[in-house]
Amino acid sequence: MSLQAPARAVSRLGVLGGALVLVALLAGVVGVAEALRHPHADVQTATLAEMGDVRDEVVCPDAPAAADDGAVAVGSGELHDCPALYDGLRVRYEGEVVGALLSRRGVAWTQLNDDDYAGVLGPLPAHRVYRGSNAGVGVLLPTGVAEVVEWVGGPAARGDVLVVTGTFHRVDPASREVAVIRADSAVTSRPGGPAPAEPLPARRVLGIVLGIAAAGVTAGPWLLRRWSR
Amino acid sequence: MLFRPDARDFRLIGLYSARVLMGVGVAMLLPATLGFALGEVNEAWGFIVAAALAVLLARTAEWVCRTNAALTTSHGLAAVGAAWLLAPVFAAVPLLLSGHYVSYLDAYFEAMSGFATIGLTLANDIDHMARSVNLWRHLMQFMGGQGIIIVFLTLFARGGGAIGALYVGEGREETILPNVVSTARFIWRVALTYAVVGIFLLWAALVTAGMTPGLALYHGTNLFMAAFDTGGFATQSSSVGFYRSQVVEAVLMPIMVAGGCSFALHYWLWQRRGRELVRNLESRVLATSMLLVFAVMCVGVARIGLFADVGPLFRHAFFQTVSAHTTTGLATVPGRLYLTDWGVLAPGMLVIAMALGGMAGSTAGGIKALRVGLVLKGLRRDLRKLLLPHDAVVVETYHAGQRRILRNPQVMTAVVVLLLWLVLYLAGTLVGLFYGYNLQVALFDSTAAASSGGLSVGVVRPDLETPLKLVYIAQMVLGRLEFVALFVLLGYLVAIVRGRA
Repeated sequence: MSLQAPARAVSRLGVLGGALVLVALLAGVVGVAEALRHPHADVQTATLAEMGDVRDEVVCPDAPAAADDGAVAVGSGELHDCPALYDGLRVRYEGEVVGALLSRRGVAWTQLNDDDYAGVLGPLPAHRVYRGSNAGVGVLLPTGVAEVVEWVGGPAARGDVLVVTGTFHRVDPASREVAVIRADSAVTSRPGGPAPAEPLPARRVLGIVLGIAAAGVTAGPWLLRRWSR
Repeated sequence: MLFRPDARDFRLIGLYSARVLMGVGVAMLLPATLGFALGEVNEAWGFIVAAALAVLLARTAEWVCRTNAALTTSHGLAAVGAAWLLAPVFAAVPLLLSGHYVSYLDAYFEAMSGFATIGLTLANDIDHMARSVNLWRHLMQFMGGQGIIIVFLTLFARGGGAIGALYVGEGREETILPNVVSTARFIWRVALTYAVVGIFLLWAALVTAGMTPGLALYHGTNLFMAAFDTGGFATQSSSVGFYRSQVVEAVLMPIMVAGGCSFALHYWLWQRRGRELVRNLESRVLATSMLLVFAVMCVGVARIGLFADVGPLFRHAFFQTVSAHTTTGLATVPGRLYLTDWGVLAPGMLVIAMALGGMAGSTAGGIKALRVGLVLKGLRRDLRKLLLPHDAVVVETYHAGQRRILRNPQVMTAVVVLLLWLVLYLAGTLVGLFYGYNLQVALFDSTAAASSGGLSVGVVRPDLETPLKLVYIAQMVLGRLEFVALFVLLGYLVAIVRGRA
């Protein structure tokens, strides 16, 4: 776009041709990426499961029903949707230990996720059933209770799934943390373990071929110039 | 009269876009190395494939577009726009290959959110994501926050004068030092100094919080990039709330504020001109605005009786205020609670804080304190004119490095850009309303996307409607580049269609 008349404007057909070449190249990049995704024999196409939607009206129960031991079985969705209702109540909550176990001053903080990746589906990328972001609650465990944790979920690892019983606080009076369960007991309901990834040979082969080509076009001209001297 | 671009125009735009692409490709080698080191072999090869594709296309484009022609401002701006649209195409490839994204569009959204330092995410199951991929998400924020154009062109391109045109295109107001290369080097020096100090302090805070030293280094590095570049991505799905540590939050807040301050202010402080902090128009506007937002937010949260005493109220309200106002997007509170437990006034203040944003010439987004300050000064000058005798000469001044006289064009430009920002916020809100979201949540996430605020109340999620994803992507790039570069790119398209040969 010049204010002065250009020497020779590119024809519209030429621009269209160039744009098509660029689009084809970019489509090729996307195509390569799609072709190299994790293959899953059971599910070939990505499944996007129904997720929590902020358009849904939040309906909190009048009075949560407690079990014989006085604890109310809850999920993170209920605690985050109706925090005032559960504030100060004794709750039972089940979730996977993820991230880290942060032990300090006689207690241990952790995050227990009760989303589908913690349940039967297992962590990504071992499947293609997508259920959105993680969902969980921060839990404070006394150090003695925290000793039950053997596996912390993270990359290539499933964490232990714990059933914790304790009190839910919108704001914990001692730690001043928001929306946490101060647990007094924890039981492992499903032990964690490694979640090794299947090797993907096609990705490795293409990586080697393209890597050599890229190194060649980058270093090649420089090497040629040096040798020609 | 509008003329159709010639071959030289296309070559220049292509050449400089290709050089940025080359830089993005080379940058992927860092997470690839980490991936191989940690045994994340599939992800590491994904980075190699993506890096190789970027380098091959970049080298081909450099060869096709080779030219000795000089870069003009319009070429520079168009190249910036093109590079910002192209870079995420390649940066999204390793994200898609990680297996945590439903579609390529989601991965592109994430890459754009990273480069534009937004912090909104469409990732599924972040808590099991490979460390190399998570590092890449944060590295994109670091590159985008510093300015990918400047980062790569000062490394790969020669000729400081030529790339001056590109500097302005990335939403920077003015050069700090006499030329762009020395300015870019100064920006690097500031970032690296903060990085060394910030990562060490975060590492120490995380170890104090109970994390193992190795993991603390990884989390600390990512947290630093998210905070200093006002990005907002987090290593864990629960953001900063995961650490449950006031010490970590205390270290993060000054880093976020440093990220929200202009590099010009850093330069003056670097030169031991501490008084500038008190006299500078922007720092005064930002500090005042932050305190006002904090005060009203405290009132809003106190009214609903969430906190029994002021300690935790101040702690959480202040962290959220700083994070929103610097457009970082880190949070100590689950986003859902903004809707269900924080009333209406406090989330409303977060929207205002994100909309206003940090300082011009910083890594922050939003309208910017400078423009707000100039508009308020202009308003005061006009009011004084009305109140004083007809023949009185009213001169309004402001301080930015030195005392400056307020001129009409400055105020006009500030008003125009401010209006463009409001239109951008409203555009995303309207599309959100169209899809049935209520005004509160539609405005919240639209403002977060456009201003790079990055906090979310849950509109942005993987099953978000595709048109809304596209609108948010457009908001991200328009907001990050502050309109001009993309407008020039659009101008080229108009010139192609309607211009004369």
